[in-house]
Amino acid sequence: MKSFGSLLILIAAIIVIVYACNKKLNQLPQDGLTGQEIANKAGVEGLLIGAYSLLDGEGSTKSDVGSAASNWEYGSICGSEAYTGSIKDDGDVSIERFQSTATDGELESKWATVYDGVQRANEVLRVMKLATDISPDDQKHTTAEARFLRGFYHFEAKKMWNNVPYIDETVTYTSNNYHVANDKDVWLDIENDFRYAADNLSVTPYQNAPGRASKYPAMAFLAKAFMFQNKFTEAKPLLDSIITSNHYHLVNYQDNFNAETKNNAESVFSAQSSVNDHSEGLNGNYGDLYNYPGTGQGPGGCCGFFQPSQYLVNHFKTDAVTGLPDLDHYNDVDVKNDQGIQSSDASFKPYSGTLDPRLDWTVGRRGIPYLDWGNAPGADWIRDQDNGGPYLPKKNIFYQSQVGRFTDVGFWSDNANAINVNLIRYADVLLWAAEAEVEIGSLEKAEEYVNMIRNRAGDPSGWVHSYIDPNDLSKGFSNTPAANYFINPYPDGYFQLHGQAFARKAVYYERMLELAMEGHRFFDLVRWGIADTEINAYIQKEKNLRTYLNGISFKTCNNYFAIPQSQIDLSAGTDGIPLMKQNPCY
Amino acid sequence: MRSFPKKSLLCNKLTVVLISVLVSLFTNVSAQQKITGEIKSQDNLPLEGATITNTTLNIQTISNADGSFSITAMKGNVIVFSFVGYTSQQLTVGDKLVINMTLAESISSLEEVVMLGYSRQKVKEITGSVAIVKPKDLTAVPAGQVEQMLQGRVAGLNVITSGMPGGKSNVRIHGIGNFGDVTPLYIIDGVQGDINNLNPEDIESLQVLKDAGAYSIYGVRGANGVIVVTTKSGKEGKTKISYDFYVERTSPLKGPEVLNPQEQANLTWLASKNSGEVDANGNPNDPYYGNGATPVLPDYLVAGPYTGLFEGDPRVNPDLYNIDFTVGNIYQIIPANKSGTDWFHELFKPAYSQNHTITGSGGNDKNKYLFSLGYLDQQGTLLYTYLKRFTARINTTFAMNDKISFGENLQLSYRDNPQIATQQGPNGNEIDGAISTEPILPVYDIKGNWASLDVNSLGGNPVAERYFAKDNKANYWDVFGDAWTEIYFLKNFTFRSQFGGSMTYHYFYDYSFFGYIPVNNLPNNSFTESSGYQRSYTWTNTVNFSKTFNKVHTLKLLAGTEYISNYNRELGGKRTGYFTNDVNYLFLTNGNPATETNYSFAGISVLSSFISSANYQFKDKYYFSATLRNDGSSVFGPENRYGWFPSVSAAWRLTQENFLQQQSWLTDLKLRGSWGKSGFYGNTDPKNQYTLYGGTAADSYYDIYGISSGSIQQGFRVTRIGEPKTGWQEDVIMNAGIESVLWKGKLRATIDVYKKQSKGLLFPVTLPDILGGATPPNVNVGNVLNKGLDILLGSEGKFSKDWRWNTTITITSYKSKIIKINNLAYFDAPYSEAGIFIARNEVGHPLGAFYGYKVIGFFNDAADVSKSPVQQDAAPGRFKYLDADGNGVINDNDRVFFGNPNPKFTAGINIGFTFKTFDLSAFFYGSFGNDVMNIEKFQRDFFGGPIGAFLTAKSKAALYDSWTPQHQNAKVPIEETSFNFSNVGAPNSYFLENGSYFRNKVLTLGYTFSKRTLQKIKINDLRIYLQAVNLFTITKYTGLDPELSGGSDAFGFDFGNYPNNQKQYLIGLNVNF
Repeated sequence: MKSFGSLLILIAAIIVIVYACNKKLNQLPQDGLTGQEIANKAGVEGLLIGAYSLLDGEGSTKSDVGSAASNWEYGSICGSEAYTGSIKDDGDVSIERFQSTATDGELESKWATVYDGVQRANEVLRVMKLATDISPDDQKHTTAEARFLRGFYHFEAKKMWNNVPYIDETVTYTSNNYHVANDKDVWLDIENDFRYAADNLSVTPYQNAPGRASKYPAMAFLAKAFMFQNKFTEAKPLLDSIITSNHYHLVNYQDNFNAETKNNAESVFSAQSSVNDHSEGLNGNYGDLYNYPGTGQGPGGCCGFFQPSQYLVNHFKTDAVTGLPDLDHYNDVDVKNDQGIQSSDASFKPYSGTLDPRLDWTVGRRGIPYLDWGNAPGADWIRDQDNGGPYLPKKNIFYQSQVGRFTDVGFWSDNANAINVNLIRYADVLLWAAEAEVEIGSLEKAEEYVNMIRNRAGDPSGWVHSYIDPNDLSKGFSNTPAANYFINPYPDGYFQLHGQAFARKAVYYERMLELAMEGHRFFDLVRWGIADTEINAYIQKEKNLRTYLNGISFKTCNNYFAIPQSQIDLSAGTDGIPLMKQNPCY
Repeated sequence: MRSFPKKSLLCNKLTVVLISVLVSLFTNVSAQQKITGEIKSQDNLPLEGATITNTTLNIQTISNADGSFSITAMKGNVIVFSFVGYTSQQLTVGDKLVINMTLAESISSLEEVVMLGYSRQKVKEITGSVAIVKPKDLTAVPAGQVEQMLQGRVAGLNVITSGMPGGKSNVRIHGIGNFGDVTPLYIIDGVQGDINNLNPEDIESLQVLKDAGAYSIYGVRGANGVIVVTTKSGKEGKTKISYDFYVERTSPLKGPEVLNPQEQANLTWLASKNSGEVDANGNPNDPYYGNGATPVLPDYLVAGPYTGLFEGDPRVNPDLYNIDFTVGNIYQIIPANKSGTDWFHELFKPAYSQNHTITGSGGNDKNKYLFSLGYLDQQGTLLYTYLKRFTARINTTFAMNDKISFGENLQLSYRDNPQIATQQGPNGNEIDGAISTEPILPVYDIKGNWASLDVNSLGGNPVAERYFAKDNKANYWDVFGDAWTEIYFLKNFTFRSQFGGSMTYHYFYDYSFFGYIPVNNLPNNSFTESSGYQRSYTWTNTVNFSKTFNKVHTLKLLAGTEYISNYNRELGGKRTGYFTNDVNYLFLTNGNPATETNYSFAGISVLSSFISSANYQFKDKYYFSATLRNDGSSVFGPENRYGWFPSVSAAWRLTQENFLQQQSWLTDLKLRGSWGKSGFYGNTDPKNQYTLYGGTAADSYYDIYGISSGSIQQGFRVTRIGEPKTGWQEDVIMNAGIESVLWKGKLRATIDVYKKQSKGLLFPVTLPDILGGATPPNVNVGNVLNKGLDILLGSEGKFSKDWRWNTTITITSYKSKIIKINNLAYFDAPYSEAGIFIARNEVGHPLGAFYGYKVIGFFNDAADVSKSPVQQDAAPGRFKYLDADGNGVINDNDRVFFGNPNPKFTAGINIGFTFKTFDLSAFFYGSFGNDVMNIEKFQRDFFGGPIGAFLTAKSKAALYDSWTPQHQNAKVPIEETSFNFSNVGAPNSYFLENGSYFRNKVLTLGYTFSKRTLQKIKINDLRIYLQAVNLFTITKYTGLDPELSGGSDAFGFDFGNYPNNQKQYLIGLNVNF
């Protein structure tokens, strides 16, 4: 019986051990913050920074070149400013050819990144409700900034796809309410977010951080939302108060595209770029990493994408007498270029006609200083002239003197750089104001705004100058303009004289000159309702230069891109019927 | 704050208490006596080395050279006499102290005792489906890893191997049961372990548990099947030393046939003309081949920025040569290799391997020991690929007295095994490079430096890429083993406590070099160093009860607990921009600090379980078995943490019935059947139940202050969405089998049929992007059904006294079908050059089925195009796709399932003969009815790319058998310069090939020296053998090797697979002292 007792003790002991060990089944997660740990002031602030971090278009799971903050593919290439470039069949030419489909990876990249931004903003709002140590003041500005970002990301989706769902902070995995439709117009929601931000943010950004949203950026985006709906009466007072605040000024044109001079008085709101920050280049305009000379020579290591179009270059011709552009016949004669001419052929001389000086800050052309990289040599820096033409992009290029300082030293090339992406700069605000004045205000005022822009461009100190000695760049730049620049403001009363239609055309044209290669043009054409006429005219002419543009045309339904099919499929609930509808055309 | 109570101390303290209680309770010993006797064969010859086991006291001894033995026993103890090749006998000790035993030569292995789930069983008593693999059969295949040796040896086990030294194999028991990890659970000496660290020579026995009756007792870890390995232990008797050795030569394959440089240029002209890409003079214009009516090979490919140059051109003056950017602009001069570089054989060279194992063992009736040392140096034919492995094993057992015994198994191993990227991804590895690099490019430039058309990366020169990887290391150190004690009490009870586990440590070096550099001070190198460890321990306590009632009823009961804990932690760092490329200088501190990145992570999981089983047998005729396990896993949330896993099984030995006992031809016939549940919790991160926040500089930090460089502001994001409701995958398995032995073992047949329903597969839920970019949780997404048939046929016997044969055939057949996927109709596994070659997993279809447009021919001419269904980019010479829905338009709806990578069946055939002291054996393996996708054709058969771009090597068929208006009955479509929907711009069946093959895996000729000869030189046994591996493969596959591994949801794609069909010749010996 003693042994039987022992057995009972044994079995009892095992049972107790099993019970005790079962407590170990509660294992806390390793290497992640739990909801409890983050629900406080510092944690919510961190989530807000995380929401900002997608402004540069990179950092989400599906982020790629398709989600670049600069919208270089959608805004600029689709807007006729540039070709895809590189070599044939490289890159997503289907977007340029308006043949992209619902399974296009780059479109999905954009969609996923902006909605990740939306959810990161929402997470700020969700977690803030659980925190107990955040003062009402901090709650106010944090909510306003989060809603600003939520509005921004939805805006990106809206202009790309038009029929998009609006996702507020109630939509979560846990609530199982994430099967949503895209049948409502989300402009009102976007406006509400920006309006809340404008009403609740102070003029000076929190902690004076230049990357943060503050009152005027919120007003500017609200105005932009109205401009996109042609609600000029709503937009104008906002634009007026931004302008009269005297908070912003036009600066030296090139300073807007230089890491050294970023966040200047012209910057209303920018996506901040940074390098050497242990992100391996991913915060340094990663979405534009292919948009550098592609032959291994010149700045950047890769890959020859995003080459300006002849059509864009032609816009910069000015009248040799008036210094004004020819709004109607700009495209009749091409600015001379070095297509088909080898770099070693020294006989080539650049175009000698009069040009708007902004051209040479916007487009890299042979024989003109490519910042401090030397005179662009033409073909030697072009990956395939036959495919992509003779030009190079320029606004995204860093200076040679900045290599290592404003470029990432750990990235596989020095393409990753700290040049900010201007989301709204003051010139943009002025030109919207000019538009609004054309439509509902005074043509004089519109002309005044346009001339502010032109006068800045006309300041010779801000022009591209030739090198003192092209063979010894260390000697720096001379005071000689690099080309025959000639630009004048519109003479007083010119708009009034030529009427509203002319004024409208002049403002549209000025936007192209001022904002070219900055990812706006296509969306402007769509909101103006002239995308099909403008783009088809472009294709008709340009297909003679770029053979891959043969046999395509732009249809009005191409105003908006295809919604990723995978996302339509995933909008289906248990009944299997997708709630989201595809855009026409696809 | 983290707030779970810390209760673990209680758990640990109680363990100590329990063990001390047990030791104190059962150390007082009752009366014992010695039993002695002799063991002889039926021929009346003494049997040396027979095992005598007192199963009651669990002590063992070995008979001496004269057959005599002595063992401790008490009245009523059961003693088993066994000897390899003989039928075991068993008796209960009565009053006699001397027992003489005669053993009959066994007709089968029915009496063999093998290790199954937590207990030993005789083969004839097994009610589940269990395959027993002889260690001799394993080591007959000279592979580095046990996984590879299992191929073809077990009916019901599919193994797809890789030729890369140390490469992982796909091992699948009874089909493919989920969309993720389908590797079986390996239990080595009772503890979950890594089979790849094991020296195959150390294996004493290996069992594959194939049905629920056999593996349900492993509960939530068991659903992929279980492989139970027991390592060798010492035997009683004098000390024995053995040495096993082989040396081997592997020859590279012949390699693909590619166009020579002139033919390649001709193809460029053909494709350019077909595409209308010609200059005004009607000829193509190529930077290398000129602008003539026929292409002209240049003398120099590249000189600085110039291409296509000839001797005498001042631009090829060697004085201009420079690859040092500090001196000036890079000016590399690369000659054209007009006779063509054989890239395949620049990369693949004959390789030599060797393997050594020394084993020593011995012991007495109380204490036994075994140690072994192993060294494997397996060199791959691809440059700088190898597996070096050192192993040491120490196994000991001690009997303190006849109530208590204890022992340990300890294995130390070290591996150095850098690997190349596996062939699962597109855009390849160096093997892909070897197949596709243009022959006109030489390996070296005019000064003997690497030739490359991209001086920034040296891309395109696969030999350079391989060379730069030569110093990469992947080191693994592993300590694995267990300690156990067994205590016998109350006559029929055994208590066993075993504590085991592993401690694995790895250390990787990864150097990368970016070429000759650099324009603009690009960093020219980087170095990544990473390391981590993994520890797991398993503590198992069981109580066994075993008793025979009235001589006919035997009851065995087992109950116990098991606790498994896993922890792993890893760290790594990287910098770029080192001053030199000297690997002796490349340490993290020396790189540019601004480029520093580092990371660490950890994982923890715990499994706590209750185990029980009951076996009842009646008169060796009826066997019933039931198992029940309860598992609690920390991987899942509290509400779905615990699961019950029952099984029942039964067997009936018909030959024990009177009505069959008269049949002389039927030696043994057993029917058995089982039903049970098993689970799976792999594929699931222990963090799965938690929503977590975090972020890195790249994905959530932001330069909010506009400082441009340096420490930017920390930000967070949701990194993971938690799902506490997720539970384990549950399998319901039914199996029926018949085992027969005919004509006293001349023929054996075992046939199993099974049905395995896997429910609630664990897989990440696909969430819409509107929920953000956090990692989605694993949920229970769907169901898969596997049905199959296993057949094992064996035959052995002798033609004469000197001539013996033995043959084994295994046939494995399964059908997997996806029954349900919760929130999707299908999911794709896109693998390709352009995201277009698709394996689609869809309800109603097998896992990994190939999906896309089916090619039904070429368009013959414009008339054919216009009368055919409307198809984007349709043109003469391009693919004509099947209009599956017959609506006259080729679109997404016309994609069909056109191939299945799962074989209809696989078979292993082993044939062996012995003649006197010679032995000859041949082992064949075949896979039949499986389709593969030869993605290498994408590069080889299609010209693609624009003129002047860096092309890939093309096949002969591209030039000589591609479509032209004059050659419409072609193999390859029209050669063009670009990709489009109607050539290779859409997923289509062009790449589909029959992947069936039949291979002579091994042919071995051995000679065993006679004992008499050997005694003079003090050697007990000596066998030498010659072996040929992969002598021939019969297949229609046109790529390197049709054996293509992959994931469970996509496999059978050839993207540059490390071939595993290379011929090897080896010589080896086994010697015992």
